[in-house]
Amino acid sequence: MSDRPEAGPEENSEEDRLIAEVVSAHRPRSGDGQLRYHPAWADLSAAGRERAHAVTIGVRAAEAALDPEGLSSTSRLVLARIRGRTP
Amino acid sequence: MPPTRHDHDALAPAIARGDAEAFAAWLAFGEPIVRRSLTSFAARVDLEAVIQETLLRLWQVAPRFVPDGEVNGLLRLALRIGRNLAISEVRRLHGVAASLEDAERELPVDTGADARPDPLLRAAIVDCSERLPERPKLALHARCESAGADDDKTLAARLGMTLNTFLQNFTRARRMLAECLEQRGVELPGGLGR
Repeated sequence: MSDRPEAGPEENSEEDRLIAEVVSAHRPRSGDGQLRYHPAWADLSAAGRERAHAVTIGVRAAEAALDPEGLSSTSRLVLARIRGRTP
Repeated sequence: MPPTRHDHDALAPAIARGDAEAFAAWLAFGEPIVRRSLTSFAARVDLEAVIQETLLRLWQVAPRFVPDGEVNGLLRLALRIGRNLAISEVRRLHGVAASLEDAERELPVDTGADARPDPLLRAAIVDCSERLPERPKLALHARCESAGADDDKTLAARLGMTLNTFLQNFTRARRMLAECLEQRGVELPGGLGR
């Protein structure tokens, strides 16, 4: 299987890459109750963080639309945690 | 067309008893509203982490929730938890009294509005996602199926991609989804970015 992304005219910028990372719902949990931020979030500018938030709103809506129960990945993660399936 | 108004406090007694299915139904309604309500903090705190913690804390305090007779009391409680947590994070990270400025910039939140995609928008999203090229589609669906349980390195390895290729394919997926929806005259909240 080829490792190359689908052909496209644009080259992703560094900010695009960071935003793609931050949009993920994956956040490690700490044992001490402190929030754990995505490491890429710290590398974004203030404008990049605001853009990442806007993109996340759209991505979560798309995830909910694709989910049989209308749940985003954030909601699925929270449910998995309260059911004890994800640390 | 005005937004449909719903009161989801009917789910509160079941949620208080520890019914995760009832909480799932509430999350489908409440999570997008909580997320949008915290927009003014986006540059200063990682809102994904704040929102996850807000929803977990809501579940923990739900057994003590007492309705006040107004619509969507549970949502208003979630909004307060989220806002207080975001302010605490601003203070912890930045050590400033910026919380007052944020409070002044508080977005008006319609706690009776339903922010979920309507059936037509949902159908358009499903159809547009089906039309994505294979590898962007794989990246998008890998994130959905994992639901935050795995980091991107793990997802990329599962798909036989490098991390960089996975992230590029994810970015292409969201852009192509946005273009497809735009061609149909619909736009997602937040817009998916370009």
